[in-house]
Amino acid sequence: MHIPDGFVSPQISLPAYAVAAPLWAWAARRHFGRAAAESLPVIGSLTALAFVIQTIMIPVPGGTSTHLVGVMVLALLFHPLVAFVCESLVLLVQALFFGAGGITVLGLNALAMGLAGPLAGWLVWRLLRRFSEKVALFLAGWVATQAATLSVAGALGLQHRLDASYFPMPLAVTLAAMMVPSLTVAGLVEGLYTFFALSLVRKANLRGVAA
Amino acid sequence: MASRLDPGRSRLLLVAWLAALFAISASRDLRVLSGAGALAALLFWRGLGRNLGRTLRSVVPVTVGLSFLSLAWLRLIGGTWPPLEPFVALAARAALMGLVTFSVLDRVDALRALAPFPTISRLLAVTLAQIHALRLLSTESLQGLRSRMPRRPGPLDLLRGAGGITAALFTLSTRNARDISDAMRSRGF
Repeated sequence: MHIPDGFVSPQISLPAYAVAAPLWAWAARRHFGRAAAESLPVIGSLTALAFVIQTIMIPVPGGTSTHLVGVMVLALLFHPLVAFVCESLVLLVQALFFGAGGITVLGLNALAMGLAGPLAGWLVWRLLRRFSEKVALFLAGWVATQAATLSVAGALGLQHRLDASYFPMPLAVTLAAMMVPSLTVAGLVEGLYTFFALSLVRKANLRGVAA
Repeated sequence: MASRLDPGRSRLLLVAWLAALFAISASRDLRVLSGAGALAALLFWRGLGRNLGRTLRSVVPVTVGLSFLSLAWLRLIGGTWPPLEPFVALAARAALMGLVTFSVLDRVDALRALAPFPTISRLLAVTLAQIHALRLLSTESLQGLRSRMPRRPGPLDLLRGAGGITAALFTLSTRNARDISDAMRSRGF
């Protein structure tokens, strides 16, 4: 789902870093200080789980594949900013230790997959949980995937509009290539994963996780 | 694997790598990209074959696939084939950035380079350890499932066992993460 290095010029990647950097600093001070010592192992485990499930490719019709993001659980358990930092960490680990993804687009990918997605999902969950917690959890995961995918496709569309000779793929192609798997497969699986993973963590009654 | 640099040099190389990637990402000229590619091949000649192979496997298929899709779409709506140069430049840029990344990461110890940042180091160490632990535990669980079944477990068998296995994996992983986190805290991280 994420944008690889070379697809987006510094015209977009640098402003994305400029937006992401203060958010990283704010989130780190607010959620990862000394007070977070208790929850850090759970956050680390869920981040590792998110990393592992992001490496599992789900085949979709048409010969391509998609993957889950898995940080919606962190947004629901802690805060969307925690999900933002953890997704950034997953992307950093992918870029620094496995050479996957991209380092120039880390800010942009983190904003799309770590902030736009989980924030949209978190808002949906807050809005719908009074009606049905189970439905709210599933829809939070589904909406998070659509919001993240739409943000990534939008960034690529913006790059095409800014300079078509740099990124020659038109928005119609990127939207179709990304949204079809997201709407049909990835969103549903992410919704189910969010529902089951959150139920599991709550049942496990772990130290550092609010009941 | 190539020999690793000390933490100070690793940090310098990481900063240079970041600057180089941003510089390459600003270019759309095929001649500039070819020159940069030749320079990268000269600088990172050690392990070049292996890193080229990794680039061909992980970066090129995505770019080429998307390019074919876009070319077909543009041909369909425009009636003529669009110019190929932007597509070739995109593929060359992405491949060059991949090659530089794999070559640099072969030479640096990223965890030691990030040591001056204790919180990020602790979270990284916990996460990396859990990635390893989760992979190990899932392999063991799969082998356990295989040993209990007279035939090779299919996707449905895996799905049936997934709930229980994931719960066990996550509980074990959290305990392991707490141990690592406590150990690092006691050492001043």
